[in-house]
Amino acid sequence: MKNTIKYIIPMLIAVSLSACEKAIDLKLKDSEPQFVVEGVLTNEAGGCKVLLSKTKNFTDNNDFNGISGATVTIADESNTYTLAPTSTGTYQNSTLTGTPGHTYKLNVSVDGKTFTSTCTMLPAVKLDSIYLVKDELINNKDGTPRKYVTVQYHDPADVKNYYRFVQYINGRKEETVMLEDDEFTNGQDVNNNLRYSNDNDNPARDIRPGNEVTIEMFSIDQAVYKYFYSLSNSANGDGNNAAPANPMTNIKGGALGYFSAHTVERKKLTAP
Amino acid sequence: MKTNKAAWPSMLISRITRLSVRTVLCILLLSIAQPIWADAQDPLDKTVTISLKNEPVKQALDKITTACGVRFTYNETVAKSTAIISIEANNQRLGDVLREAFTSQPFSFTVLDQEVLIKFDPAKAKKSAAAPVDGKYTISGTIKSKQTGETIIGASIRVINANLGTSSNEYGFYSLTLPAGDYQLSVGAMGQKSVVVPVSLNSNQRLNIELEDNAQQLQEVTVKAKPAGARDLGSPQMGVEHLSIQETKNIPVLLGERDVIKTIQLLPGIKSAGEGSGGFYVRGGAADQNMILLDEAPVYNASHLLGFFSTFNSDAIKNISIYKGDMPAQYGGRLSSVLDIKMNDGNNQKFGVSGGIGLIAARINAEGPIQKGKSSFLISARRTYADSFLALSKDSVAKNSKLYFYDVNAKANYVLGDKDRLFLSGYFGKDVLSAADIAGINWGNTTATLRWNHIFNSQLFSNTSLIYSNYDYKLNIKQDVNEYNIYSQIRDLNFKEDMQWYAGQNNTVSFGVNAIYHTIKPGEISATGNSGVVSQDLENRYALENSAYVSNTWRASDKFTLTYAVRLSAFTILGSGNYYAIDADGNITGSTHYNSGQAVKTYVNPEPRVAAAFQLNDISSLKASYARNAQNLHLISNSNAGSPTDKWVASTNLIKPELADQFSVGYYRDLNDRNYEFTVETYYKKLQNQIDYRNGANVFTNQPIETQLLYGKGRAYGAEFLFKKKTGRLTGWVSYTLSKSERMIDGINNNQWYNSRQDRTHDIAIVAMYKASEKWTFSANFIYYTGDAVTYPTGKYQVDGATYYYYTNRNADRVPAYHRLDLGATKQLKKTAKMQSDLTFSLYNAYGNPNAYRIFFRDNKTDPSRNEAVRTTLFTFVPSVTYNFKF
Repeated sequence: MKNTIKYIIPMLIAVSLSACEKAIDLKLKDSEPQFVVEGVLTNEAGGCKVLLSKTKNFTDNNDFNGISGATVTIADESNTYTLAPTSTGTYQNSTLTGTPGHTYKLNVSVDGKTFTSTCTMLPAVKLDSIYLVKDELINNKDGTPRKYVTVQYHDPADVKNYYRFVQYINGRKEETVMLEDDEFTNGQDVNNNLRYSNDNDNPARDIRPGNEVTIEMFSIDQAVYKYFYSLSNSANGDGNNAAPANPMTNIKGGALGYFSAHTVERKKLTAP
Repeated sequence: MKTNKAAWPSMLISRITRLSVRTVLCILLLSIAQPIWADAQDPLDKTVTISLKNEPVKQALDKITTACGVRFTYNETVAKSTAIISIEANNQRLGDVLREAFTSQPFSFTVLDQEVLIKFDPAKAKKSAAAPVDGKYTISGTIKSKQTGETIIGASIRVINANLGTSSNEYGFYSLTLPAGDYQLSVGAMGQKSVVVPVSLNSNQRLNIELEDNAQQLQEVTVKAKPAGARDLGSPQMGVEHLSIQETKNIPVLLGERDVIKTIQLLPGIKSAGEGSGGFYVRGGAADQNMILLDEAPVYNASHLLGFFSTFNSDAIKNISIYKGDMPAQYGGRLSSVLDIKMNDGNNQKFGVSGGIGLIAARINAEGPIQKGKSSFLISARRTYADSFLALSKDSVAKNSKLYFYDVNAKANYVLGDKDRLFLSGYFGKDVLSAADIAGINWGNTTATLRWNHIFNSQLFSNTSLIYSNYDYKLNIKQDVNEYNIYSQIRDLNFKEDMQWYAGQNNTVSFGVNAIYHTIKPGEISATGNSGVVSQDLENRYALENSAYVSNTWRASDKFTLTYAVRLSAFTILGSGNYYAIDADGNITGSTHYNSGQAVKTYVNPEPRVAAAFQLNDISSLKASYARNAQNLHLISNSNAGSPTDKWVASTNLIKPELADQFSVGYYRDLNDRNYEFTVETYYKKLQNQIDYRNGANVFTNQPIETQLLYGKGRAYGAEFLFKKKTGRLTGWVSYTLSKSERMIDGINNNQWYNSRQDRTHDIAIVAMYKASEKWTFSANFIYYTGDAVTYPTGKYQVDGATYYYYTNRNADRVPAYHRLDLGATKQLKKTAKMQSDLTFSLYNAYGNPNAYRIFFRDNKTDPSRNEAVRTTLFTFVPSVTYNFKF
């Protein structure tokens, strides 16, 4: 529901304010490049990957600004695993697979700096099914009906749950951060609509007949939820937030980014 | 409250030139008793046509000689006199002209052969100097419009040739205490003809005065001390702007809908919160720090259609006053300003209907007597039909959307006797915004005010009010099989007692009490369908806001007036409900339950207010003031647009009352015989317990709101300049504000000072109205201000394959400067005794400057490897035409 409300109010406002858009040349200040750590550990094989990069200036291109030469480890209660560089800025360990209930410590050392983070992998909540729902309000840019995935799951009542969903259309990952918690749905059967706005009118982001749609559902902890919540609300540049700011990271030591140890549930469908 | 305006340079003269009615009669008889020469025309019978304004006596006489050939004889005393006279004569008898010109001057005249002898008349001077001192008496009453019976607010009542006077209060009541004697009172008000009323005071008197409407006159010329409606140089009240609704009539506006809230934003120190927002910022304060009162009822959301129109229908409004932080002690509860809007009472002389049809809205207003001269009613309604244009849209969403508002103002008053008057007024408005039955939001204000004016005696005026006010919104979303409804409300019950005691010649005391019971329903969520959302109510919050105040305006001397006041406010948070303890990171560490009616906490705040005026001379004065204000209701918002769903939150055990201390100094000067007015005000404001959202705050949560908040302080300072031309065909003003507003909040911007959102370095407004003929009036506004302080990215990075932005300092960047020109023209159509009508044309943003409504950042649409900054613009070239009628 939060997802819905987040999209509905700006949309309603947009209906009444038919504004005219124009790209303009703004002189933005530059800043010292900062480290960005993106650490992920899943309960699936090959799901251990840390990306290390630095921020770039606004006018630079969007190529990943990977940083090599870092020492990256993830430790559980008993062992420490080293992640080896696989390409510039990408560090992986193909044997480490997370176990729900375990707590993992990330350590990244680079240029005399050390970034650490701790995250507990929470038990998976089963993704029961996924199905498509037509948007009754807006169509795709080309006039075809707009569709969203609805995910169906049962939220466990005894614990606080935080979810993150990732959608792939024919293997293309949707950029929008899709989050849910159980603040209003604790212990319920949940049907949650994964809305997003295709603000750059990219047809590859629309669900069309014949597309293969995959949904991954992560059970994440509160700190990771806060990170993605603040990332998507205050750092995506959409201009809705009056006070844009860097997201609330769970990384200590002065880097941007996050470390998420999470379980993955996955479902697929082919759009009719 | 208000003291008179002094005539300082001519002080000495006026001391010796006070003139009674009897003296005038003597002169009259004298001049008639002059010997008449049979073979020649009496020079006093010659006719003269002349216009003189504030001419020294000698020059004035010379000019009369030139005009009609009659010569004057006079001695040194007269020739050297510094007295000034004004004459407006059109083919009038010279004797009459002189008599009028010398009414208030220590001169008399007699015919001497074919010349006229002007004599300095010590008797006339002595007479007024030696005013009888056998006791003081009070003259009091109500000032009304002759045409409509409407009471007139802020009319000036002045004793001619004495530095004494007062002005009428919010209900048209005035009271003036003077030593026994004969006086001439000059009574005037903005848009009304001034009158001179002779008064012979030897006991307390009731005198109701009716003024005639002056709206159709180009310029009223009378022998007067000062144009009515001028800034009160002698009053210590600073930071105030009064506007009568007629003044706003010709200012061009968006889509032709007259809007008082948009008009006040053209004054210095009052800034627009931007297009598409109904809010305004006063002296660096946030939009929620403005108290907006409609007939004394607080209005919580003063905007329609996301801010394009204010909730106030100009047809129903009599008068507005805005106090920029130096509020009189009767007002409280907000830090930055009070916008006090008074509705018309309704015409008690005759029934009339007026209205207007514009491009997007229609208005109708009916008013008339219930009992002629005694009681009246008014009902005024508006509805927009912008959504009928949506139906023409090709876009399927827009086509099926609703977008309108309506509002109704109603008022009735009843005169119960000479001393009592009852008023019942109400407002009801609603906005509806929906998209194809899928999603909708509606919101609205309701207010009702019952007031009882009672005049205890000539010196004690009382107003008792019972006020109800309500603001709520309802959000409805239908999606697949699911439906959600979210409802939120803030409701006040309010009792107010205000007394004004005109305690003699030199003191005006006001005092009163106020109690408001607030109920805030933060959110009620109901859901049906399979979403799993459990319907729930967030806990209601209750509070009792009590206050008492006393204020005295002491006229220490002709030059110096002082207002000293204190307001004591006590805000008691009441159960039932849970109140929390929260750690530095926003986690709940404990909670306490309070039962219904149990006091959770009481915040007591003494709010001292002092203001002084030092009148430098007849045309200029210096003022200084200090005021403290406390605020216990806070609007928590982080949206850029200003959404109707922004949350009103009362102070809690954790949210402390916001406090502001404002110091200000001002200089006021009338120029060119009071046709121009120049003011400078400077202020420094210190703010405590300011509130902001945490970084990454969750706006939509059922957690206590305090878990999402941070607290800190603020400061704002600036200088405001206003130059106004008040008379002639061309009227208008230039206003300029130079200012700074900053915040320092624990946990934001590394705990360093940063520009607040409402920080505007420069803000300029030029307003001009030109009455070209009886038919045509043209107008123009030009507005320029520094762009909003915002946070732009200073870098970017990739997370999970998408671009995000890196930020360093809060609000360290600027939106491009805003500027636009609006043009307007009003054509008066055929006017008959029964009916009048006009056509108003306007062009908003006449040169189509693409002002930024919002700036956002995204991947370049054509080259996703790059990013771009995108500006959205709302209005360029918006023409409109409105037909207004009255019969």
